[in-house]
Amino acid sequence: MDSVFYIAAFVTVISTIMVITRHNPVHALLYLVISLLSLSMIFFLLGAPFAALLEIIIYAGAIMVLFIFVIMLLNLGKETAKQEKEWLKPKVWIGPAILSAILFAELFYLIAIAHAASYNLQTVNPKAVALSLFRPYLIGVELAAMLLMAGVVGAAHIGQHKKMVLHRFLKEEDDTL
Amino acid sequence: MSGNDFFALTPLLLLAGSSVLIMLLIAIKLSHRVIQLSSLFLFAVAFSSLFFIQKLLPYHIEPLLIMDGFSVFIMGLIIFSSLVVNILSYIYFEEKEDSPKEYYVLLFLCTLGACVLAVSKHFISLFLGLEILTVGLYALIAYLRERHHNIEAGIKYLVLAAFSSAFLLFGMALIYLQTGSMEFSMIARSLTSLQSLSPLFLTGLGMMLVGVGFKLAVVPFHMWTADVYQGAPAPVTAFIATASKGGVFAVLFRFFIMIDGFRFKVVMLILIGIAIASMIIGNLLAVQQKNVKRILAYSSIAHLGYLLVAFMPGSMMSIKAVSFYLIAYFMTTLTAFGIVTILSNKETDAEDIESYKALFWQHPVLACIFSSSLLSLAGIPLTVGFVGKFYILAAGLQAGLWVTALILVISSVIGLYYYLRIITIMFAGQKSILSEEKKANPFFYRVSIIALSVLTLLIIWLGVYPSVVISFMEYFRLK
Repeated sequence: MDSVFYIAAFVTVISTIMVITRHNPVHALLYLVISLLSLSMIFFLLGAPFAALLEIIIYAGAIMVLFIFVIMLLNLGKETAKQEKEWLKPKVWIGPAILSAILFAELFYLIAIAHAASYNLQTVNPKAVALSLFRPYLIGVELAAMLLMAGVVGAAHIGQHKKMVLHRFLKEEDDTL
Repeated sequence: MSGNDFFALTPLLLLAGSSVLIMLLIAIKLSHRVIQLSSLFLFAVAFSSLFFIQKLLPYHIEPLLIMDGFSVFIMGLIIFSSLVVNILSYIYFEEKEDSPKEYYVLLFLCTLGACVLAVSKHFISLFLGLEILTVGLYALIAYLRERHHNIEAGIKYLVLAAFSSAFLLFGMALIYLQTGSMEFSMIARSLTSLQSLSPLFLTGLGMMLVGVGFKLAVVPFHMWTADVYQGAPAPVTAFIATASKGGVFAVLFRFFIMIDGFRFKVVMLILIGIAIASMIIGNLLAVQQKNVKRILAYSSIAHLGYLLVAFMPGSMMSIKAVSFYLIAYFMTTLTAFGIVTILSNKETDAEDIESYKALFWQHPVLACIFSSSLLSLAGIPLTVGFVGKFYILAAGLQAGLWVTALILVISSVIGLYYYLRIITIMFAGQKSILSEEKKANPFFYRVSIIALSVLTLLIIWLGVYPSVVISFMEYFRLK
């Protein structure tokens, strides 16, 4: 059981190091997905299956897909097709694939052995999480909502921009239309 | 949650509700003036709500928050300083920014974050409050997007604040690992029997100090201060210098008093080191500066060092000294940045020291206000800064901290030099280089000057009769 943890931790460290050393953002993102997946494996081992699932659904799922889409969309241009072909070279995806295969094998092993309770842990189920969030820590949840609001309002202000006028003659032309 | 809980939470609920309300007002396209005035009104309402919850104190909202005399006092200071910043903001942003309205939403949220810090007694509320404050500040610092300095300052603050938050979180995790709780009182309970700290706890505490030190801008975590102070819009700088630091300092103080961290030698040595370094380096770096905002930034580093001297004894005296010094520091800093705000024009802030030349002959009132706030920062008698420093020295000497007290005195003398230099420049020469332009909004211009004059009168009044406030502070208990 310990070895399962160490392998997952090793995968996490390796993939995170790969994230911060890649030059191409898409390559880095592939490794980031692996890093998040292995983190969720560690959560699972520690007896928090709900946190593990959230890690996969929210981080590896929603946010990473969003990231990858944005970065791919930003690269629109004539070179895009060529670039995407380059991204699909085995050299790029073989590393993440191996790491995720390791994680998958671990998961398979954990499901296959029936007596999983060698750690003396109590499992935190979704109900316990929900009860603690909406009973004692209700104010914390509300504060988190205010935090998100601060982020959204700030980003909306900084992100908004005036219509750019490239040249004053163009602007005049625009007015006559 | 019971009805009493809601009643005790009124100030926070009002602040949170105000931010939403202002957002709705923006959505129906009201003018900047209406939004500014209504947010001024809402700040005043939030401030006055503090008086209504007095009879409930002390009140615990388990497990996250605590409302007691000290936290309500700090909340009062924070909301008051936001109110002053709000008054000053109109003339500053009206002429510089196309969409100045979201500013007020962010100001409410930052105030909420600082207030949550002041009332928190749990790592979760500490972290959430701190994040609300800093996430709001990222946008406020970079608010004037046209100016390169602003964006640069915003990015710097973003990177360093995120970095320090990571330190803070890791420190909290280590302390949680060691003590099994994130509530201050439970941490204190698990520490009572210990004579010395375990390495794990000490590492956690050290990391938390790094995280908090960044927010407080004490040496050696002060690198961002001058650039961010210089780059941020002047009213926002006033907010960073007062409300944000006040909230963080309050929660740090409560944490240390509750866990009684002062009985551990190592922790004390670290704190003494930080205090001494902040006092000396802050004052020395300010001497060479030619930029008023940078001078005030370095002087704020030194002032946080002074506050740490009052912080270290951890006695009843130090609660009083810290509270009083926070009042003094808030009022004088707000006044000083208020003058910078009023004198700023459309293109640049009034930050070059040369632009204050002969200010007295052109705007005698402004020059007098600025002089008195600088004298109070320097700690000249008859100003509130002197009484504050006196209390700090008394608290330090009572606990036998001779070395830090001596360094406080010496570094104050160095500080006097650069404060007086600004004052002499204001009286030197005949012709001011500030053009006598017509102010776009004479009404708000006058209101701002009146607000600053009231603050100046308070600075002098509390310098002469400090007993009014001191007697009020007798009842603060942090345990």
